[in-house]
Amino acid sequence: MWDSIYYFVMVPMVYIAFGTLFGGILFKFIVVLRSPKIKGTLAVFPRGPVPKLGALRDSFFIPDAFRKDKVFWFFIIAFHAAFLLLIIGHLELVREFALFQIIPHYVFLGAGWVGVVLIASTLYFLFRRFKSPWREISVPEDYIILLLLFLAFIFGSHMNLASRYGIAGFDIPVQSYREYLSSFFTSTPHVSRGIIASPHYVIVVLHVFFANLFLMLFPFSKMVHSVFMFAAQFIKRK
Amino acid sequence: MDNEKRKELIGLMKTRLTRPMRYYLDLCTRCGLCYDTCHVFYGIPKKEYSPVGRAEVVRRIFKKYLRPSGKLFPFWGDSKEIDDHSMDELLDAAFSCTACRRCMVHCPFAIDTPFLLGIAKSLLIGNESAPDELSILADGAVEKGKSIDEFKDGFREVIKDLEKEVAVKLGGVPPEGLIPMDKAGADILFVGLSGAHSIVHPAVILNSAGANWTLSWFEAVNFGAFLGDPRKMDFIANRIINEAKALGVKEVVIVECGTAYRIPKYLMGPQPFKVSSIVEVIHRFLSEGKIKLNEKTITDPVTYHDPCQLGRNGGVYEEPREILSALAADFRDMTPNRKYNWCCGGGGGLVALDNEEFRIKSGKAKYDQIVATGAKIVVSACENCIFQLDTIKAGYSMDVEMKSLTELVAENLA
Repeated sequence: MWDSIYYFVMVPMVYIAFGTLFGGILFKFIVVLRSPKIKGTLAVFPRGPVPKLGALRDSFFIPDAFRKDKVFWFFIIAFHAAFLLLIIGHLELVREFALFQIIPHYVFLGAGWVGVVLIASTLYFLFRRFKSPWREISVPEDYIILLLLFLAFIFGSHMNLASRYGIAGFDIPVQSYREYLSSFFTSTPHVSRGIIASPHYVIVVLHVFFANLFLMLFPFSKMVHSVFMFAAQFIKRK
Repeated sequence: MDNEKRKELIGLMKTRLTRPMRYYLDLCTRCGLCYDTCHVFYGIPKKEYSPVGRAEVVRRIFKKYLRPSGKLFPFWGDSKEIDDHSMDELLDAAFSCTACRRCMVHCPFAIDTPFLLGIAKSLLIGNESAPDELSILADGAVEKGKSIDEFKDGFREVIKDLEKEVAVKLGGVPPEGLIPMDKAGADILFVGLSGAHSIVHPAVILNSAGANWTLSWFEAVNFGAFLGDPRKMDFIANRIINEAKALGVKEVVIVECGTAYRIPKYLMGPQPFKVSSIVEVIHRFLSEGKIKLNEKTITDPVTYHDPCQLGRNGGVYEEPREILSALAADFRDMTPNRKYNWCCGGGGGLVALDNEEFRIKSGKAKYDQIVATGAKIVVSACENCIFQLDTIKAGYSMDVEMKSLTELVAENLA
């Protein structure tokens, strides 16, 4: 039975997760694009010389957060920078990308540190919510998403760190990940032998399970801020 | 509350789901960076008066009825039903907000909480629990728009009396025609308020500059916007827009009223005429040498309160400061100012409500700012702000004088 559950998490659920993620975002876009525009402007002044550039700057560097709370800003930037490296790293686990080798590295860029930064930031965000006034404004969604992320990161980091230091023979080679992840783009998706044979296969399953849950929740939760942030920032300057 | 009413309110909520509204409903991460940015929270530090606290009242109801997650798993986002209690929460959230949008400049996602509270106001109107004062005033303005001809004779008589006041201020010139009305082809259509001072002082300035102007039949203030009724807001604004089009004016000049300026300038779409604040026009007249001021005649320290709708939401920051720097020997800016200025607590139609004690408390930030400047004269360019500043002055027993910029200019023309 466990084999079936593991297989479901590792293959069908991954398709469901990505389908829900992309389908959900597409649905959100359709809903937004079908909603009426307003006839005026909701700008705040000064709008800045180049509104789109200003909106990009505000979206990526979040100066509003820097002005209000520098520690929080540091963790926001650290988290999002690490998350970007995380996405790149997972793409590299599908196949080699010459573009990412601008900085020569072994898969993947920032591995180890990326996980540590993400775990530290997530814990900061989580514990911040236990303190007033953030506690009063938080809803279950806020805690659950952070817990999901924490769990996905902790198992992902374990896979990376344990592999590096050879703990308990946990040495799933990159080729095994590539075989597994690239198989999603073929007609025969499967979990590679290298992963199944590892004594820490369950860790991989747990990592994928929590990541799947996160991806499925993404379009229907506050995580869509990453999709629509620029649009809202642009409205402020339009 | 019965189900029929609830369905009606959900339908009303759907009518407010414009594109920006969708963003503002979805984007908030409850990071809390806005938490202490509201002047009401500064004076009354309760979660309900934080921007996120207000917005969440709306979001929780939205999720309950228009989000699958809210329908299936209400605990997920703490969704709330529409009932009498939630309507009370909406009332408190919507009509304690002055729509100053200070929270928006501190929000990393640029969420316009007052815009979001438009949903709350729609629900309150649908539930017939919006403040009566604002409903009556908005309905009155709509009625005036529908039957303006019935008002014209009475208004003309009032204007004749005001022309005499203007004549005296201009040094005893003949009063006839000093406040022109219905003047087709005028360059400027000036829109005042119901108070005589809102017409007399601008009339002195416009005549001194030799402007080709005419006075609007309507008052600039838009109670439809304060009430949160988009149809009434549009109707009230369109009275003036249609009048300007019929007269063929080049420019509509709005009296010192921030909301009245922002609506035709930024919220009604493109118009075939320019929309300016009287402050911008005074500044232009000074730059062009059409009027001159008795410079540095005010020796007491002077400070300026940026009306939120004129400054942060209208972009008029430097003109009033340059005018005041010319008039006053000791001009002192408040801290913070311009985009980050604290709201005085009088906007959003709040000065029309029976809430003086609340407004004194919510004016604490402004009181502290004024005291910090050491100014003896506080100038602003918005009728609501001046009214609220006077409330703050009385509430905190302040030894300062509150003045309107137009009045100060009219009194100090060279």
